[in-house]
Amino acid sequence: MKAILQIALGIIAAIGGFVDIGDLVFNTQAGATFGYDLVWAVPIGVVGIGIYAEMCGRVAAVTKRPVFDVIRMRMGLSIGLVVLVASLFVNLLTVAAEIGGVAIVLQLFFDAPFTLFALLGALALVAIIWFTPFEGIERLFGYVGLTLFVFVAVALHEGPDWHEFGRGLVPDAKSSSLYWYFVIGLISAALMPYEVYFYSSGAVEEGWTPSDLLVNRLNAVIGYGIGGLLSLGLMVASAQLFEPAGIEPDHLGTVALLGQLSYGETGLVLGLLGMLFAIGGAAVDACFAGAYSVAQFAGWEWGKYRRPSGAPRFTLAWLVFFALGLTILMTGIDPVELTEYSVVLSVVALPLTYFPILLIARDRTYMGEHVNGPIARVLGWLYFVVILVVAAAAIPLLLATNGGGG
Amino acid sequence: MEDRFELVYRLLDDQVVDVDGRRCGRVDDVELIGAPGGPLELGALLTGRGAYAPRVPRRLRRLARRLFGDDVRGATVHRIPWSQVEDVGVTVRLFGRAEDLGLARDDRELQRPFERMPGG
Repeated sequence: MKAILQIALGIIAAIGGFVDIGDLVFNTQAGATFGYDLVWAVPIGVVGIGIYAEMCGRVAAVTKRPVFDVIRMRMGLSIGLVVLVASLFVNLLTVAAEIGGVAIVLQLFFDAPFTLFALLGALALVAIIWFTPFEGIERLFGYVGLTLFVFVAVALHEGPDWHEFGRGLVPDAKSSSLYWYFVIGLISAALMPYEVYFYSSGAVEEGWTPSDLLVNRLNAVIGYGIGGLLSLGLMVASAQLFEPAGIEPDHLGTVALLGQLSYGETGLVLGLLGMLFAIGGAAVDACFAGAYSVAQFAGWEWGKYRRPSGAPRFTLAWLVFFALGLTILMTGIDPVELTEYSVVLSVVALPLTYFPILLIARDRTYMGEHVNGPIARVLGWLYFVVILVVAAAAIPLLLATNGGGG
Repeated sequence: MEDRFELVYRLLDDQVVDVDGRRCGRVDDVELIGAPGGPLELGALLTGRGAYAPRVPRRLRRLARRLFGDDVRGATVHRIPWSQVEDVGVTVRLFGRAEDLGLARDDRELQRPFERMPGG
């Protein structure tokens, strides 16, 4: 019974940790601009991250190798370096965007300058990481992030147009480049690679063995599946409330208004609280993902299961990551714009990290009996193609739409 | 472990772990001993950023040397005698401790300031 409870608690944390600033921005903007037309893109992204995370978690549980360990080992030094540099770059943009998101939300709670809150937010996150064990970090942000379900409640409360919703499940072949830009954005926002680096390194931190494969599968199916509902909730609520009114949620604060429009101040506070912890948690995950990548590539001791001084180069790496992210923010770049770039560029780098995982997950020498089964094999390759197409289309669409500006 | 295995597939780029389970570098290169025509023996594993530059494509070596440094034995590249290797499995496991093999120097320097902090 205790074991079941443990499993459930982990999955609940995975649900709350699913959404980050990229999902908040792209889902609400998609709903506000295209109503229900882009509903179909959400499950494509959600199934993709489920497949990718399931493979990474399985590889980590069976071989004890997290993602960058596999990349270094399977792709060698030179290609590994290219992947490392590309990943660190997009990760850094993500860290900056997430810290920016935290600062914006804090600004809505208390009236003070953005830069002050960026600094305070980053310092608070550093303090939380420094003093909290790995599991505590995951759960703290995951659980409070669940208040984001207020947006699902809003979507249902506003009486969604199920007929339109159904029509949105089918892609529209004739649509504009802005439409396709949002398709790319929605899929990429769900498939942010830092989530997977964090997830697989976390599996090694928690000492997963093949007996944890059930948890891994449940995380992928239920955790990400229900997490995906949050994305849909944001899109549908935005389609109900923002699209008819012609409101463009260009500011992150506008997203929280969805809660207020349906449930007044309680809705607003719940929405903001969920956003704060979801984005804050993502800042931590992205920052750790960067430090994990460097440490695993170079073979340094890493992990939160060590005290900060027990893995000093790893500790220094995540501290530097926070500092660099903060520096990018201080240039005055708009965090929402930064988010769009980080999401779209992430998907360009995604095939580089997805492919080596796919190679290991199907390699019997390493995986033994836990090698990819027929479902994982077919879906794994299918999504490799999807990711390649999305990655190839991302930059042209970013340029054609002037960064989503239309 | 098997007495016959593929050097690049199984050994190169793998994680080195000491007897306490501490990660202490990757197999960035290997040193073979023996003249052509004679038997070849695995002399040592080489680990450290100084070993990166010779492994990247020729055109990028100058840049890599600038970024990661030259091969300076005992500083940027550490030699792990093959006799110190206990097993090659998921990781390359050593008989000794990283400290005693000279593999923990960079970590030790950084360790002190962190140790002084509360919670560090």
